[in-house]
Amino acid sequence: MRSNSEATHVGMEIEATTRPSGATLPGLSPLSETLWREKANTEIIGDVSARLTWKDLTVMVTLSNGETQNVLEGLTGYAEPGTFTALMGPSGSGKSTLLDALSSRLAANAFLSGTILLNGRKAKLSFGTAAYVTQDDNLIGTLTVRETISYSARLRLPDKMPRADKRALVESTIVAMGLQDCADTVIGNWHLRGISGGEKRRVSIALEILMRPRLLFLDEPTSGLDSASAFFVTQTLRALARDGRTVIASIHQPSSEVFELFDRLYLLSSGKTVYFGQASEAYEFFAQAGFPCPALRNPSDHFLRCINSDFDKVKATLKGSMKLRFEGSDDPLDRITTAEVIRTLIDFYRTSQHSYAARQKVDDISKVKGTVLEAGGSEASFLMQSYTLTKRSFINMSRDFGYYWLRLVIYIVVTICIGTIYLNVGTGYNSILARGSCASFVFGFVTFMSIGGFPSFVEDMKVFQRERLNGHYGVTAFVISNTLSAMPFLILITFLSGTICYFMVRLHPGFWHYVFFVLCLYASVTVVESLMMAIASIVPNFLMGIIIGAGIQGIFMLVSGYFRLPHDIPKPVWRYPMSYISFHFWALQGQYQNDLRGLIFDNETPDLPKIPGEYILENVFQIDVQRSKWIDLSVIFSMIVIYRIIFFIMIKINEDVTPWVRGYIARRRMQQKSGAQNTTIAPDVLTQSPSLRTYVSTQTK
Amino acid sequence: MEIEADTTEREVQPYAGFDRGTFLAWEDLRVIIPNFGKGPTKRLLNGLNGYAEPGRIMAIMGPSGSGKSTLLDSLAGRLSKNVVMTGNVLLNGKKKGLGYGVVAYVTQEDVLLGTLTVKETISYSAHLRLPTSMSKEEVDSIINGTIIEMGLQDCADRLIGNWHLRGISGGEKKRLSIALEILTRPRLLFLDEPTSGLDSASAFFVVQTLRNVARDGRTVISSIHQPSSEVFALFDDLFLLSGGETVYFGETKSAIEFFAEAGFPCPRKRNPSDHFLRCVNSDFDIVTATLKGSQRIHDAPNSLDPFLNLATAEIKAMLVEKYRRSTYYKRAKNRVRELSIDEGLQPPTQHGSQASWCKQLWTLTKRSFVNMCRDVGYYWLRIIIYIIVSICVGTIYFDVGYSYTSILARGACGAFISGFMTFMSIGGFPSFIEEMKGIMMMTSGFFRLLSDLPKPVWRYPISYISYGSWAIQGSYKNDLLGLEFEPLLPGDPKLTGEYIITHMLGIELNHSKWLDLAALIVILICYRLLFFTVLKFKERASPLFQTLYAKRTIQQLEKRPSFRKMPSFPSQRHQPLHSLSSQDGLDSPLN
Repeated sequence: MRSNSEATHVGMEIEATTRPSGATLPGLSPLSETLWREKANTEIIGDVSARLTWKDLTVMVTLSNGETQNVLEGLTGYAEPGTFTALMGPSGSGKSTLLDALSSRLAANAFLSGTILLNGRKAKLSFGTAAYVTQDDNLIGTLTVRETISYSARLRLPDKMPRADKRALVESTIVAMGLQDCADTVIGNWHLRGISGGEKRRVSIALEILMRPRLLFLDEPTSGLDSASAFFVTQTLRALARDGRTVIASIHQPSSEVFELFDRLYLLSSGKTVYFGQASEAYEFFAQAGFPCPALRNPSDHFLRCINSDFDKVKATLKGSMKLRFEGSDDPLDRITTAEVIRTLIDFYRTSQHSYAARQKVDDISKVKGTVLEAGGSEASFLMQSYTLTKRSFINMSRDFGYYWLRLVIYIVVTICIGTIYLNVGTGYNSILARGSCASFVFGFVTFMSIGGFPSFVEDMKVFQRERLNGHYGVTAFVISNTLSAMPFLILITFLSGTICYFMVRLHPGFWHYVFFVLCLYASVTVVESLMMAIASIVPNFLMGIIIGAGIQGIFMLVSGYFRLPHDIPKPVWRYPMSYISFHFWALQGQYQNDLRGLIFDNETPDLPKIPGEYILENVFQIDVQRSKWIDLSVIFSMIVIYRIIFFIMIKINEDVTPWVRGYIARRRMQQKSGAQNTTIAPDVLTQSPSLRTYVSTQTK
Repeated sequence: MEIEADTTEREVQPYAGFDRGTFLAWEDLRVIIPNFGKGPTKRLLNGLNGYAEPGRIMAIMGPSGSGKSTLLDSLAGRLSKNVVMTGNVLLNGKKKGLGYGVVAYVTQEDVLLGTLTVKETISYSAHLRLPTSMSKEEVDSIINGTIIEMGLQDCADRLIGNWHLRGISGGEKKRLSIALEILTRPRLLFLDEPTSGLDSASAFFVVQTLRNVARDGRTVISSIHQPSSEVFALFDDLFLLSGGETVYFGETKSAIEFFAEAGFPCPRKRNPSDHFLRCVNSDFDIVTATLKGSQRIHDAPNSLDPFLNLATAEIKAMLVEKYRRSTYYKRAKNRVRELSIDEGLQPPTQHGSQASWCKQLWTLTKRSFVNMCRDVGYYWLRIIIYIIVSICVGTIYFDVGYSYTSILARGACGAFISGFMTFMSIGGFPSFIEEMKGIMMMTSGFFRLLSDLPKPVWRYPISYISYGSWAIQGSYKNDLLGLEFEPLLPGDPKLTGEYIITHMLGIELNHSKWLDLAALIVILICYRLLFFTVLKFKERASPLFQTLYAKRTIQQLEKRPSFRKMPSFPSQRHQPLHSLSSQDGLDSPLN
């Protein structure tokens, strides 16, 4: 194993040197390289570090009215291993867009021109090499920090890797991110107090550096953190960079301590470069340009003050309200508008030594054709992913009180209520209707309450979305794991409440009748879950989801054959597709047969003949007695499968079709516009910005 | 009458009595969280002295958990129930509770109705709170003056915005919240972290307007977290706290000197406020310890930095000690004494809203109606859903007729409408309310005939409380009485509605359907009254408990010698409370 990887390594190095322009090489992933290096305990043999350069980068966005707008204009810069580059600028200056462009995460309606080279090659950024930490931490609140990281490790590390190695990797990541003190604390959610915001952010970063990426992008890693936490996060990022990684982060209003930790600074204003170079030299640069930073001022505050055109607006409004007392200031910034300052600075930068040096350096780096870094993604097998996800999701469900436990309590309470109301229902004349309404209430309203788990599921979906975007696992694994992990809880809930209901009401005696009742309840509740899952894939907003889910179930209930007898339901829409789509319909058909067939009921007065259950089924409830109740049950089970497939398809459509359509529309609009204006659009191949589609497909391969 | 006379005088001289403004002084202020028996008592504030003068703006600064918000709350008289305060807070030399009107408090969250414009929000608030005796022109001039004062003229006609409407920016929202508070011309203005979540330009704007408000002769006290250099420079006075103790109190400009004298000069390229906080923030100790533990400080930065050799806890202790012996402390103490014996100033008296009850009712109704009209999610969405659902119901029961099966169909139709459709009214509310309704529906008499309901519990209390049962009885009577239906077997006599109601549906015909309707309305009124009582109870009864509790605590504490310990205490205020509805930024309309 060890010699094997060594051989590949050497081979790769030779290839890299002999055939510099060669196609994709079977190189090692950064992770394997790191592991190998740690084991072999030697210095770097193959250079797997990432050098990123971008030249004349322009990003154009099509707005809904067909207008185009340049969000970034002619940016040139580079990022080297071992350095921490900070992207700074006022809000709306294009920080995030630059980060997105560099990490190939641009939205489909943004078009990119210029060259972005990784190790001198125009290859698309493979996403194992680059990790992206988003601004919001979507983590599972019920897991501890160590659990979160180790589950993520098991999801992505190769199966063959020994357990001890995985554990060692997890522990070293925890130490690297300074999480050892809170490793066994739960992360926390809305009702559970957990770790602090800064710790959460570090957990998010830890998850991304687990696979030892060479290139790390972070979108505002310090936003919402207090100064100590922000300092800690930035300090760890700097340490990560010092390990030979390339770290690029957008940062908004750093405090003085945080600013001192930056190696390189990329200062943007309205999409143009104001400064790119050593962070420590920016101070000098501003002084030379005529805007020296006053003493006792945070340089970054000063830089942002100079280039934030919002200050013009603020001053104008303050003057408008005639309230600004002009307390004679010697600040040069008070005499000149920021728009002018920005213009001066951009011109100054263009002709400065910094700009020249940056271009020179970009050319130098581009000439060296380095190794092609292999996509890391998830290296675990599908089975391993599904197993780990199931386990994780099970643990989450069992710890989250609101997910199933609360529902279990409510179900038991409600079924006890039902049980006492229909207590010992018997076979009197009145009990005919009572049995019917009991079944309809159980299958109508009791299953309805399954909607209660929707908010927790929406939370789950957020975590899923983040992990899917980062290529941890696929949709199939998620669907399978969710189904499997929910099963024990749903069985427990329906078994307990079904049993209470069955024996208190004394429905049709007989073991198989009891089994049918419980199974039917289980199937119905699972259908509701699957239905809500499908809805969650379409409407992510949880309030709208609940309203839509309730509406659909209301209509299903209406056509189930209880509120209106099956033969009386108008044929066109309601009976033909709708009542057969409704799971309530099948549940009631089955349960009526299960309950009434074989029983004999008293008539209205004792002297009249008794009424057999079959007669009631056919004439009162209008049930199709030809069909076996087990067929009805299997229809419900097949609905579960169908809804899960719908969920799967919807997710796929969302990630594949929607960006494509959006990109297509944007391109069409732009073509129409440019046809009219006769301007050229970037002819580069890169015009088609890589969408989520290409990104996900590289992951799944 | 007295109030009115008072206000007319106020109109003539809008700032009468303001000439000397409001002086606020606090002496030996201590706040503790008592903890009976279990663990040590927590001290949030420990013997603070200070004062605030009109025309000046004061910043309360400190690391998280240092007691900024507690100090602000105790000065504004808004401390939560579980803490006990000792010491004096003097308003113009008088120890007096601060009523509404004299002080205004701007909270961290902006609670605004998203569907109103900026101008509407201000004018509704003005009509709610300004005295009824004021003429329309006067009110208008106050409204316009406030808009200009807060620099809101550019966005005056824009909507505030909510989860689905894009509206004004965060800085504008904050300035609007301040505008609402200064409408009644309070003399004291408290703000809890007015710049949190704002970018530097908006933060600067907000604090600049606050400074202008202060220059008009008002006293402004604001807690602030990590101000940028520009913002920090706007404050006149600084109260620097750490762990509930004063690190510095005095003019902002002198603070730099004070730190330099104490041996911690601010480096040149540093924001002074960042430096001050860095000195007293003990979280940095933890950070340094953890970083050292993970041996990650590769390039140990400039070892000249005194912070790497000294724990912030020590620095803090040195600073606190230094402050206690400094001239700043003596000066503050003298000034507080001066202010506390100064009896020439009348503490201002003003109580609550000065608008009449009728006017308040009218304004509130109007505001809430406008809000409901504009908010698609409030009623319009429901109207659409109701229409769709009732079209569905209508087509399913289309022309129901008089056959035997239509008897049941009519019953089911009535049950579905009064059950499921009212169910939809609560569409967005948490699921447990739905659960409650589920139980109510079951007892309403359709799922189980009323006469069959088990008597104890279900029939007697619950089915009479259940609005569904009254609704369904009424609608059955309304629908069936006087109709005739086909029998099950042809040839039998036709079934009358009365027969069906009494025999098949088990409803007594003792009272008319109108009585059922009346019962329904009574239930509706009862629920509203319940809501009112609960609100009132919360408002009235809780201060009562609080005083009792505080008295008891002090008595208990006096017996305990061991309450000198002083562990650090995390601020409770800033725990993000993620309610379910906040997941998508949806707030309950109640807020």
